[in-house]
Amino acid sequence: HMNGILSVFKTDRKEWADLEPVPQDDGPNPVVKIAYSEKFTDVFDMFRALLKNDEKSERAFALTAEAIELNAANYTVWHYRRVLLQALDKDLREEMKYITAIIEDQPKNYQVWHHRRMVVEWLNDPSEELQFVAEILSQDAKNYHAWQHRQWVMQEYKLWDGELEYVEELLEEDVRNNSAWNQRHFVISHTRGYSDSAILEREVQYTLKQIKKAPHNESAWNYLNGILQDGGLSSYPGLLEQVTELQDTCSSPYLTAFLVDLYEDALETNSSSYDQQETLNKALELCKLLAEEKDTIRREYWNYVSRSLQNTYGSGDPVASSSDPPPPSSSQQPDTEPSDP
Amino acid sequence: MLTIVFFALSGLDVLDALDVVDKPSLIEWIYSLQVLPTDDKSNLSRCGFRGSSHIGVPYNSSKGPGAPHTYDSGHVAMTYTGLACLVILGDDLSRVCREACLAGLRALQLEDGSFYAVPEGSENDMRFVYCAACICFMLDDWSGMDRQRAIDYIRRSTSYDSGIGQGAGLESHGGSTFCAVASLCMMGNLQEVFSERELKRIRRWCILRQQNGFHGRPNKPVDTCYSFWVGATLELLDVFQYTNFEKNRSYILSTQDRLVGGFAKWPDSHPDPLHTYFGICGLSLMGEAELQKVHPALNISVRAFESLRRLHEAWRQKST
Repeated sequence: HMNGILSVFKTDRKEWADLEPVPQDDGPNPVVKIAYSEKFTDVFDMFRALLKNDEKSERAFALTAEAIELNAANYTVWHYRRVLLQALDKDLREEMKYITAIIEDQPKNYQVWHHRRMVVEWLNDPSEELQFVAEILSQDAKNYHAWQHRQWVMQEYKLWDGELEYVEELLEEDVRNNSAWNQRHFVISHTRGYSDSAILEREVQYTLKQIKKAPHNESAWNYLNGILQDGGLSSYPGLLEQVTELQDTCSSPYLTAFLVDLYEDALETNSSSYDQQETLNKALELCKLLAEEKDTIRREYWNYVSRSLQNTYGSGDPVASSSDPPPPSSSQQPDTEPSDP
Repeated sequence: MLTIVFFALSGLDVLDALDVVDKPSLIEWIYSLQVLPTDDKSNLSRCGFRGSSHIGVPYNSSKGPGAPHTYDSGHVAMTYTGLACLVILGDDLSRVCREACLAGLRALQLEDGSFYAVPEGSENDMRFVYCAACICFMLDDWSGMDRQRAIDYIRRSTSYDSGIGQGAGLESHGGSTFCAVASLCMMGNLQEVFSERELKRIRRWCILRQQNGFHGRPNKPVDTCYSFWVGATLELLDVFQYTNFEKNRSYILSTQDRLVGGFAKWPDSHPDPLHTYFGICGLSLMGEAELQKVHPALNISVRAFESLRRLHEAWRQKST
């Protein structure tokens, strides 16, 4: 309907005649002068009046919908609507339909997702949630709010079944979807976990397979690195070989960086399976390759990594750049002056 | 809205152009947004600053007492930006009800260490941990939070890829990584909370965000504001100097609107206060000529930071 429940024409508003509108009061020198439309001012003048009286009525409930349509980010309106939902014992199933439509329209708004979560909690019914979130993700597969809601539902109601399959579907559609990789880690760590060596090996092989399909994919490399951190990259049997094998066909700065990390792990753990000097040399060589060829945007960073490795594991004189970060023993002051470039 | 005023004001400060502003009027208006303790002090857990006068509480820029209103409470991001604006404007915070603000802040912290935005409840995530840390830092009083719980929340929000998400299990993100690292720096705990090995991995995650400008998550498009979120984090971790300044600068400037000015998230997009402010700050981190330096943790000019420090010294002297 054209005017909503609050007609633009003040003469028509008999149902609101008893309520004195409350204007916004910004004092003598208003700073943020927003050019509100007449409708916006009318609706919110009435909203302020209702709020002042803490009125709990159907007309108040209807007005919140008007206010939300004008500004879905006003958290006070949403809170008031929730107060009314309970005070008037409104049909929460209807509210679910309402909030579904609002989220479809504004899927990056914080308040709408919070409202949905509250209604789901009150109903204690998550049965529509996974499908709903999947719908939103089909329009934007990386919507952070959607993923957050999904994780909340799954954890709160223990809905883990079928999620790994869903993640794999998404990775089929876009193997570079970092949110999907994150969700993969979420689901596995909350179900069987990575301590199970069969699971870990399955995941390593799955990830290497995805890397072969799309070598220049930071997400897959981050996942591989992440799941192997606990055991240590240099300790995982056959890993160095499998990754080195990929160097010709699946080269990327991420592969090279992975090898640097693997060698660093060998040095850090003083692994007996690795010749320390040779490992250090390989790591330094790869840093140079990254700086000069494979990841030149981060040239200075790879030179810094190189210097750090040399200083920590090298046998010669310490290599320094005056602007290197201080060694770990000095404590970080909370109000350090930023260093000049 | 107070957050927009903050972007504008702090932006003008970094541009060294605060003279265009009527400081006394602004200070009055900001104080009028303070949720003041009522006579009977029954609303202390709701104190702080509002974002605007939208709920219709009568104008009052004094130190109190406040008029009771069932729905009147502060918002943690508004308390943070309100205090920051006052500091930027050179105010001495003498009309801030510090104890009330801190009580309001304590009421917002959850068991898991994170914070709500408002006492009525809202979402909770790393953004509000950062706001809370800024408030404690500016008021020079950490009784506003349980620091250990906040630290635990930050640790639990660290992802398998060593970036930091908005909460446990969530995807690592440039914004939440900034919020976490900056909060720890303000607490003075960065190196106690993370081992050197962990810090190395956080540095790596952050520095990989540079594509030309910066993005907020792997495989996402770049966006001007991440030149600050990620840039400032890298600065706090002492490795911003190893990023490529030319490419970063080029990107930020490419998002400038040649007609109306300001910056947008992408080239040929509409500019807005947030991206304009963070574009300026992103340039400031690189020492851009004619821009004031920005404090990478507190996100105000170093000059404003210094005046805050002097205020703290005066407070501490008074109490001894």
